[in-house]
Amino acid sequence: MSSGSGGEPDAGRRGVLKLGIGALGVGLAAVPVVPAIGYLLFPTGSKAGEGSFLPAGKRSALAGAVPVRVELYADKVDAWNKTPDVKLGSCWVLERDGALQAFSTVCPHLGCAVDYDAESQKFKCPCHRSAFGLDGAVEAGPSPRPLDSLEVKEENGLVAIRLVRYRQGVSQKEPV
Amino acid sequence: MALLDWLDERTGIRSATRLMLEEDVPGGARLRYVFGSVLVFLFMQQVVLGILLAFYYSPSATDAWASTAYLNDQVTSGWFLRGLHHHGSSAMVVVVVLHLLQVVFAGAYRKPREVNWWTGLLMGAIVLAFALTGYLLPWDQKGYWATQVATGIMGSVPGGEPLQQFVQGGPEYGNLTLTRFFALHVFVLPIALAGLLGVHLLLFRKHGVTPPDLPEAELQRKTQPFWPNQLFLDVLAMAVCAAVLVGLTVKTHGAELFAPADPASNFVARPEWYFLFLFQLLKYFQGPLQIVATVLLPGAAAVYLFALPFVDRAKSRAVRSRWAVLSGVGILMAGVTALTAVAIAEDNNNESFQHGVEQAHAEATRARELAREGVAPVGGLAVFDNDPEQKTRMLFKEHCATCHTLEGKGSEEAPTLDGFTSREWLTALVRSPRDRRFYGATKHNTMEPLTTEQASDEELAAVVEYLIGLSGASAAASVDAAMVARGKELWDKKLECSSCHELEAGKDSTGPTLAGRGSPAWVARIIRDSSQKDLYGDTAEMPKFADKLTQEQIEALAQFVASRKTP
Repeated sequence: MSSGSGGEPDAGRRGVLKLGIGALGVGLAAVPVVPAIGYLLFPTGSKAGEGSFLPAGKRSALAGAVPVRVELYADKVDAWNKTPDVKLGSCWVLERDGALQAFSTVCPHLGCAVDYDAESQKFKCPCHRSAFGLDGAVEAGPSPRPLDSLEVKEENGLVAIRLVRYRQGVSQKEPV
Repeated sequence: MALLDWLDERTGIRSATRLMLEEDVPGGARLRYVFGSVLVFLFMQQVVLGILLAFYYSPSATDAWASTAYLNDQVTSGWFLRGLHHHGSSAMVVVVVLHLLQVVFAGAYRKPREVNWWTGLLMGAIVLAFALTGYLLPWDQKGYWATQVATGIMGSVPGGEPLQQFVQGGPEYGNLTLTRFFALHVFVLPIALAGLLGVHLLLFRKHGVTPPDLPEAELQRKTQPFWPNQLFLDVLAMAVCAAVLVGLTVKTHGAELFAPADPASNFVARPEWYFLFLFQLLKYFQGPLQIVATVLLPGAAAVYLFALPFVDRAKSRAVRSRWAVLSGVGILMAGVTALTAVAIAEDNNNESFQHGVEQAHAEATRARELAREGVAPVGGLAVFDNDPEQKTRMLFKEHCATCHTLEGKGSEEAPTLDGFTSREWLTALVRSPRDRRFYGATKHNTMEPLTTEQASDEELAAVVEYLIGLSGASAAASVDAAMVARGKELWDKKLECSSCHELEAGKDSTGPTLAGRGSPAWVARIIRDSSQKDLYGDTAEMPKFADKLTQEQIEALAQFVASRKTP
């Protein structure tokens, strides 16, 4: 291979060489590119999961028809980190007809944190003016569905709430 | 191709491509011209792989190791891409040396290509700087300690301390060291290398290849175009190089990742193989002479290479007229090779080094296994908190050490648990139960000491052996049967222990039952509720943990305490 066949044109041989360059080039590019696809897609598509019941406090502290904002804590694994007892989210809790009702503070429209307006007795989203009644129903604004209610469990005077995040912007309540 | 025509009309892409590819290679395409192209390929591959690694890697002292372990052991194909990047750096060093040797052999450093030679040498130095800075980034034991040596050398050179402090970001290693090494490795060095590479390639196009030493007419006659003749050889060499890299990466299952950097450990630090010659050189020059190995000899070699175009006074490029220059470079390479070989041989014959390597691998495996459940954000070393025993120790510290002492730490409100219910512990307890080591500080300080008149040391030893025999299946297996028989006799006939202590579980008494005393099950009962009638009853002060801890935690603690018998 150290010396060529001279200057005379040899179109056929050069065609083969060009094909070879193309084929080998594709192979070289494939070495990092093919594994990179699975690598870059790694955590996507995995479900955040059903959520688990997290301690929300004593039943006696949550009595009353005025919503109380409760912050929920649990151990969290975030990629390579495992952090004990971090704030995972919050919810509004109120008593209705003797039973506790919990609503996610995440607005079903686009995910802003829904606030409670004591004066009008409504939940109000500060971003796009959605308003919700104490039963969670949409009363104004662009939200496509009522506030997401969360499962509540009572045991030995202690309340636990299952924290789940739902897809935003759709009328169906589906877990993320 | 209508699309290409459209694009060409607006961008001139065809003439640009032609400009890049159409070049005559006087004397024809040759295999020995491939090294430069292979280096360009390797550099580009390293850039792509480096960008991919940055999708998961986090350059902080607390996150670097855990994120690397995550990337390597959990992310799909992470081990492969990291391994390819790691071995790719070795490949670059090898091909840089081959390229340099080819240039020296062909005399391509001579006029008019001196500037090309110098930019090449600078790029070679940058490749080594890449290796040095990349090594630290995983923040594992090997990277940490090997880089300590490198920055230590920097600091020991006269006037080098400010430079050391600059790259470290202060007097010692930490977050700033990592962010600096990361910035150098990921931004500064690639940009510098790309810039020099641009100059290098432009100069190469200006002067062309250094053809073989043949008459002009023959060179003309044998001329071939770069595209496709030389490029085919180049791409073929790249493919061979890539195949070797993939094979190596699969065979070694990627790059090693040692346990997280531990500043308190003594790790058997070695640099990467291409720095071993410097490591070996350092062994021969100690004390005030150290500077010979760290600065003077490497510096002299670098100066010699930079000055090569001037050192070479030969009239032609012919090999026989340049024997002095060629042998100079040859001696340099032989010296580096010999030092590397000696370093490897010495380590192979060094038992304590081999032992250290084995330990390092075992620790790395354990750390990476534990890292799968996530690492606490306090730093890579926190991975060992995932160890079940470590978890139990933390439970102990939180719930038990407020009253009990273990291994010199804790409070003395309740019995010390070192050697709990071992022969020595029981013997000492019976002789002085009201000592603070035992029940002296508790409400349960009602037991009378057993004097040597009541029972001799030898008699007490027999009774203790008897009690050990009752303490559970695992302990009973190791007892001396004759002593147990003697002890039982003393218990039944001579001593009055049984007025307070029962030998059956569930039977109420003023003292705790001795059935299974010290066994994990017995300890677990104590932890749950020590005030049961057959245990400490009314004198129990210990909190009841049955509601405070889970069943699993209680059993783990019981197992932990019961296994402290041999402190």
